[in-house]
Amino acid sequence: MSRHVVVDSAAHRALRVRAEASAELGDAVMACFTMPAEFRRVQNEFPILFRRDLESGRFSALALFGFEDGENLFLTDRRWAARYRPLALAVQPFLVGRPADGEGPAQVHIDLDHPRISNGEDGVRLFDQDGGPTPYLEAATGQLGELDEGHRGSADFYAAIERFELLEPFTLDVQLDDGARRYLAGFHIVDEAKLRALDPGSLGALHGAGHLMPLFMAMASLSNLARLVERKNRAIRGG
Amino acid sequence: MDRPVRRIVIVGGGTAGWLAAATLAARLGSRPAPPTVTLIEAPDIPAIGVGEGTWPTFRATLADIGIDEAEFLSACNGSFKQGSRFDGWTSGAAGDSYLHPFTPPPSADPRDLVAAWRAAGADRPFASVVSAQAEICAQHLAPRHAAMQPYAGALNYAYHLDAGMLAALLRRHACGRLGVTHIADQVVGVEAGGNGDIAAVVTRGHGRVEGDLFLDCSGHAALLIGGHLGVPWINRSDLMLNDRALALQIPVAPGSPIASQTIGTAHEAGWIWDIGLPTRRGVGCVYASRFLDDEAAEAVLRAYLARTAPELDPGAIAPRRLVFPTGHRAEFWRANCLAVGLSAGFIEPLEASAIVTIELSLRALVDNFPASRSAMTLHAARFNRQFAARWDRIVDFLKLHYLLSRRDEPYWRAQRDPATVPPGLAELVALWRDQPPSAYDLPLADEIFPAASYQYVLYGMRPEWADRAALQGDPERVAPILSQIRQRARALAAALPSNRLSLHMLAADGGGGHVEGGRG
Repeated sequence: MSRHVVVDSAAHRALRVRAEASAELGDAVMACFTMPAEFRRVQNEFPILFRRDLESGRFSALALFGFEDGENLFLTDRRWAARYRPLALAVQPFLVGRPADGEGPAQVHIDLDHPRISNGEDGVRLFDQDGGPTPYLEAATGQLGELDEGHRGSADFYAAIERFELLEPFTLDVQLDDGARRYLAGFHIVDEAKLRALDPGSLGALHGAGHLMPLFMAMASLSNLARLVERKNRAIRGG
Repeated sequence: MDRPVRRIVIVGGGTAGWLAAATLAARLGSRPAPPTVTLIEAPDIPAIGVGEGTWPTFRATLADIGIDEAEFLSACNGSFKQGSRFDGWTSGAAGDSYLHPFTPPPSADPRDLVAAWRAAGADRPFASVVSAQAEICAQHLAPRHAAMQPYAGALNYAYHLDAGMLAALLRRHACGRLGVTHIADQVVGVEAGGNGDIAAVVTRGHGRVEGDLFLDCSGHAALLIGGHLGVPWINRSDLMLNDRALALQIPVAPGSPIASQTIGTAHEAGWIWDIGLPTRRGVGCVYASRFLDDEAAEAVLRAYLARTAPELDPGAIAPRRLVFPTGHRAEFWRANCLAVGLSAGFIEPLEASAIVTIELSLRALVDNFPASRSAMTLHAARFNRQFAARWDRIVDFLKLHYLLSRRDEPYWRAQRDPATVPPGLAELVALWRDQPPSAYDLPLADEIFPAASYQYVLYGMRPEWADRAALQGDPERVAPILSQIRQRARALAAALPSNRLSLHMLAADGGGGHVEGGRG
C-alpha cells in the first residue's frame, strides 16, 4: 500500500521520518535497484548483478545483499554494516514525482504509508522551526535528483550493452558452512571474454559514451560475492 | 612497618562513600589478590546529597564501575546535562543570558575564532557560533540518538540526577555485584596505630574494623581527617562570599520539556540553581548571609518560582535551609587516611565541582594505588600538591563569574573587591582584555577547567572584550569549520529527539527492567 504526496512545508512541518537502518523499516531486502551512475560506489561493498525484466525485456541492475528473499546480510543489530547505501534504498520514503500532467520538473514526493513515517516524536524532521528544509531533506532532495538523472541516463547504457551483447547468464551455487546450499539463478553478469574481444573502434565508442567505466565496475564488483558468502557463514556461526 | 595494602575501609555513605566503594572495588577488583573494600555507614544520618549535576567525566566513571547507562538514568531519575546557562549575571537586564556548553569550540587558534564570531554580527552569542550545542539546548533536545551505544553522544554531555537515588544505586551495585562489605553502624572511636596511622575504627555494634587505608567520606563531620588527625581546614570564605542555600524540589507537569542545561539565575546577593529532572525540578537559592538574611532570600526564591513555576501553590513552598562552610583541608591525604567529598572541601555549587572532585580524587588514587604502606607517603605528598592546585583553580574559575559582572548591588561590588580576588586571576583577566584565554594561561598538565571554559564565560559575559583579541585573528581561516558547525547544528536539531522522549525510549529499551527494588 502506498500514498504518494508532494512534500510541502506547511502540510509536513511536523512530520518526522525514521532514518535508521532496520528490518521493520523496510531494509530486510535481499537486493535493491542500482544504476550505472553509482556502480563505482556500489562495487566497493556489494556484488552488482543484472536482470532482464520478463515483461519489458529490458535489463536493469541490482546490488545484492543476501541469498534469499528478505535476507539482508548488511543489516545487523539496527546498523547498516557498509560504508555505502545504494540511492534507491537511501531515499526511502521519498520518491521522484512528476506533476499530475506527467510533464515538468521532478518533484520530491513522500510515501505517507511507508514504515519510515514516524507516528510519534522520534525520527528526523523535514522542516526546521522556521519552515526551512532541514539538512536531511536537503540531502534526500539531492539524492532523488541524482537517482532521477542516473535512471534517465541508464537507458543508453543498456542499449549499448544489448547492441554489443555484453551480458551473459549467471548462476551461483554455494555450499555454506552448515552444509546448506544456496542457488541464485536468472541473473546476468558482464561477459568478460566478449568485452576483451571488442575492436578498438567499439571500445572507443563505449568509452566515449561513458559506458566503459560502469562495465568494469560491475565486473570488479563480483569479488564481493565471496565476501557476501563469508558474511553469510559468519551469520550462521553467530547463530 | 612496610605492609601491603589489603584492606580499604570507607567511613561514610552518601555520594562520596558509595562512589569510592564502587570505583575501588570495580577498578582494583581485576588485580591479583585485590584489596577488600568495607564501607561503614551510620544508618540514621541522612545524606546531604551534594549537587545534582555532574560533569561529562561521570559517563566514564559509571562505565568503569560497570553500571548500564539506561539503568542509571532510570534508577536515579536522571536527565542529560549539556552545560550551564547563566541568566542575569552581567547586568541583570532582560535578555542577559549566556550558555557554557560542554562541547568545546573547534580546535583552532582562538584569535581566529573570536575574529570570526565578532564578524558574524553583534547579536550572535559566542557559544552558538563555535558550538552546535547551543541550538540543541535551546530546543530542549537530547545530546544523543537512542540507537547510539551506551555513554556515546552526538554532543558532549553529563547528567542531572537525584543524589539520594544515586547513592542507593551505587550501594546495590557495590554490595550486590562488586563484593563490597556494608556495615550499617556508627563510628564511635578511632584507634591510632604507629607512625600517625589509623589502625582501626571502632563501631557501636560491630566492634573494631581494621584497615590499611582509610577513606574519610563522612562529610562535613570529617571524623577521621579532621576529628582524629586534626588536619586544619583552610577557610576560603574571604574569596567566595556565598555561605547559605535554600533548596526545594517542585513537581513538573507530565510531558513538559526537560531543560538541557543547569540554569543559574543571578539575584541581588547570590544566584538560584534550577535543575530539570523527568519528574521534578530542583531549585535552590544560594546567597551570602552578610548581604541577605534568610527571610529576604526566601522572598527572592518565591519571586523566582512565581515567575518560572506560576502553577505552584505558594503555600506549598517550604525550602530546606543549608549552611555550608567554604574551604578545604590543608592536606587531603595524611598518613593512611584520604579525605574524599565534603570532608576534603566544599565550594559553592556554581559549576557542579563537587562530584567531579570526588571522581578525580578516586581516579588519582586508583591510577597510583599504593601496593604498600611505604609507597603511600610519596603518593600522599603528590596528591596533596595536585589537589591544592585544583582547589585554587576551582576558586579562580568560580570567581571569574562574579568578577566579570557589571551588577551594582553591594554584594556584587564586594565580589569584585580586589581583596576578594586571587591575584593570579586578576592578572589573567587583565591579559584577557588583549587576547583570548589559552592553554598558555592554564599550564597545569591536568587543568580542571580548560581554556574553553574560560572562553565561554568571558565571552558570554563580556563579548566586547573580544574586540581587541579579534584584531589579531583572521576569520577566513576558520570560516569552513564554523560553516560545518552551523550545518551540524541544523542536522542535529532535525534529528535528535527531545530530552523527555530520549529518556522514555531508553527506559523502554530495557533500562527499567534491571532496577531492583526502589528507594527505601
